[in-house]
Amino acid sequence: MIELDTSQAHDVAVLRPQGRLTMVHAGDLRAAVDQAVGDGRTHVVIDLGDCEFMDSSGLGAVVGGLKQARQAGGDLRIAALQPQVMTVLQLTNLDRVLRPYGSVPEALRGD
Amino acid sequence: MATETRHCVSGPAVPASLDLVHTLLEAVWSEHPDVLPDDRMRFELGVTEIAGNIIEHAAAPGPIDFRLAVEVFADRLEARFRDAGRRVDVDFDEATMPDAMSESGRGLALVLAVVDELSYRHDGSDNHWLVVRRRSPG
Repeated sequence: MIELDTSQAHDVAVLRPQGRLTMVHAGDLRAAVDQAVGDGRTHVVIDLGDCEFMDSSGLGAVVGGLKQARQAGGDLRIAALQPQVMTVLQLTNLDRVLRPYGSVPEALRGD
Repeated sequence: MATETRHCVSGPAVPASLDLVHTLLEAVWSEHPDVLPDDRMRFELGVTEIAGNIIEHAAAPGPIDFRLAVEVFADRLEARFRDAGRRVDVDFDEATMPDAMSESGRGLALVLAVVDELSYRHDGSDNHWLVVRRRSPG
């Protein structure tokens, strides 16, 4: 399940995947980013505070979202990573491309 | 050395069955609280990726079932998958991390990063995967 929060600003969408982000829900994340960017919310933050587990399918969906947001002139950032998700990010060397932010406000500020 | 209890599950090779894999591992960990969190997390990642691989590649063109058996030993964690799907073309030497912006192709490379032994064989009718992670000294 993925929660969508659009209360931050007119061009911001905060997505909150709950539980495990595997091939079961990777498509849901892609669809959520697709809709947000389509609605002009090109600054996307994925709040991973409630995401306890991610596999390569989930990671692929995040990368897809990053590309989509950037192509629309925005960006995608990830925040509040749990240890498992941080490990997956590091093992795949994606921490160089997707800098993990400590919280959603930090991701929105970019610090 | 005596073998610990074997935990098994079987189900259709469809994405929703990944939940069966996680549920099985939760049962394994609750019975083996001595397995360290880092070992659990990395083993679970490896097992999930292989399950995903079976679901994605072996299942076509028709629906198949898969079976997973997990065993906890004093020195290692073992997962054995078996399915009657088609033979999978696997080359572990080719399983390297793709470009950062690639949206797929990381599964096998991730498995190799978190397990100590990974093998695949097709015996003429079934696919067999063996995933082994040596346990960190507690």
